[in-house]
Amino acid sequence: MAVISNGQNSVQSASTIKQSPLVRTLGAAVAALPAYQSTYADAPPEFTEVGLRYSHYSEDSLSEDKFIAGARGRYDIDVTQLWIEAPVGSSWSIAVDVQNDSMSGASPWFVGTQVDGQPGVIMSGASIYDNRVEVGATTRYFWADGNAGFNVTHSKEDDYEALALAFDVAWNSDDNSRTWSASASTSNDTVEPVTGNIPVFIDREDIDTASVYFGVSQILSRTAILRIGLGYTISEGYLSDPYKLFDERPDKHKRTALSGGYRKFFPEAQGALQIDYRYYADDWGTDSHTAEVAWHQNFDRFSVTPYLRYYSQREADFFSVIADLENEFYADDFRLSSYGALTAGLRSTVQIGDWQFEGQLERYESDNDWGLYDGDAAPALVDFWRATIGISWRFD
Amino acid sequence: MHCALKFCSYWKNKTRQPYRFFCLFFLFGITGCSGLEPVAAWERGYLAEDAMQWQSSTREAKFKGHVYTSKEASSGGNGAAGGGCGCN
Amino acid sequence: MLKLTTHPVKTFGAFLLGVVFAVGAHSGPTTKQDAILAPAFSLPAIANAEGVISLASYKGAVTYLDFWASWCGPCRLSLPALDEIYQELAPMGLKVTAISVDVVEEDAWDFLARYPVTYPVAIDTEGSVAKAYAVNGMPSGYLIDREGRVRTVHVGFKRGDEDALRAEILQLLEE
Repeated sequence: MAVISNGQNSVQSASTIKQSPLVRTLGAAVAALPAYQSTYADAPPEFTEVGLRYSHYSEDSLSEDKFIAGARGRYDIDVTQLWIEAPVGSSWSIAVDVQNDSMSGASPWFVGTQVDGQPGVIMSGASIYDNRVEVGATTRYFWADGNAGFNVTHSKEDDYEALALAFDVAWNSDDNSRTWSASASTSNDTVEPVTGNIPVFIDREDIDTASVYFGVSQILSRTAILRIGLGYTISEGYLSDPYKLFDERPDKHKRTALSGGYRKFFPEAQGALQIDYRYYADDWGTDSHTAEVAWHQNFDRFSVTPYLRYYSQREADFFSVIADLENEFYADDFRLSSYGALTAGLRSTVQIGDWQFEGQLERYESDNDWGLYDGDAAPALVDFWRATIGISWRFD
Repeated sequence: MHCALKFCSYWKNKTRQPYRFFCLFFLFGITGCSGLEPVAAWERGYLAEDAMQWQSSTREAKFKGHVYTSKEASSGGNGAAGGGCGCN
Repeated sequence: MLKLTTHPVKTFGAFLLGVVFAVGAHSGPTTKQDAILAPAFSLPAIANAEGVISLASYKGAVTYLDFWASWCGPCRLSLPALDEIYQELAPMGLKVTAISVDVVEEDAWDFLARYPVTYPVAIDTEGSVAKAYAVNGMPSGYLIDREGRVRTVHVGFKRGDEDALRAEILQLLEE
């Protein structure tokens, strides 16, 4: 269709463009200009966005055959997220996030033995109620081929308070096909358990956490992009669960996560395959594999994304189904046991002018038999439903 | 690709296998010698699709991270960790 | 590094390389003798013009060529900002053409329905003109003087960039 010449000569056909001396010379030299990328690394948001999301998270009640005493109903959480994100001047953006979690329900207190000899769970007596409010602010600076952000987040609930600072930076390679990213964060948390219907044995304890991450993403073709990342986190302080009767954990926790992701767009299908993987290992003897596969299907004004997630972890060294108080460290927390878990979900978004609506539903089930690692089954493994609706609006 | 192989073959006789692997990895990662055809600025329409982003949304990523971190032993993989919560 | 010669084509490369190290996403105007001729093209019009748009028809006029795409975020700012400049300076002889690099023409129409402009818009679905201009970011704007030489290249767009662009255009209009 297009007819080109180099301006000095007569008109040439499109097929001879490659021979144009201008292009040949420019090929190497211009490669370093900032390009618009899928990562948005080099430009602040064009418009202000405000949004509201509501999620309901509901755990299944503990089944009769695994229950000994207390209340069988487990956690229900209502989560409200509110945010505003806006460009400031020509090179900055600011985002403020507010999140409120309202929790109610009972949680496993300890694991004992039922009359038939099988392990069973003693739940906290009646329903616990707690409310958590989190406020975070992020400022971000954008330059021609990168951006850097600084975030402060404060989280407060009756018995827990956390203050976290995070810094991240992303920059593009000269040919704009590769983006490097790095981040570092620290968090100072304070646990002050409140005595409800179960006794607690600590007054006030601290946890300090530091974390670093380094990652790179690479454009492979017009339709494919790949990334890998490595993260390391260290926590020190009171890492036991104060609401469990038998829970004594080391006061240091070092964690490493290696992650990868792949996105492939299929223009004929107007959809993309999304694959993510993470390997995690820590110094408590736990390691895990997480794999997620999704298909994002575009339609005219909306999208539908079904997804599957598989997760499997190895039990911590000090975990046992019934806590072994003879050891220095012990825990009967199901979250430290060996198991496998499957999540199936569906996410959908609708775009109408400057408004975006989203909806999401997912089911999570876990089972000792589904795991890749050996280890006895914890009776309190959790299954849950989660539903989310959200709305956001963009304006000038 | 070719560029990296050629460079690293220089080490062939002098260096042990693991170092050569490291050399290749380093060159693929750090230099532009990855053998990938660069995607021009005007060809990045598909890459700009929502479907091609690493996170479906910032808030969903935050929510998801929060749920899984409080119900499973693992965390991380998506940048540096943030503050914790007393989630049981 | 790149050897600087007086060869106009190489100089254009060097000039673009210089942009890399410039703060912000645009270069300052080059002098007349350094600038090279803008590659000629003919592309089908999709808005505010009929038939084919060719650079040759702008001979003798200060011309701004803006490469954009419906999927480009900053283009939602740059196209309307350019329209304001166009409406103000068209009476002084400024010519503007926006060249969409969308693969699907309907995507460009949808964008223009949301962000309407008054200057002519052409489409380069194969990206061959974008290639001839060595477009390296979205949007990319080329300011061409009355002699048909590329005097400035703007890559990317941020709020406030329109002020610098307006000043550069005025300078060329007064030459």
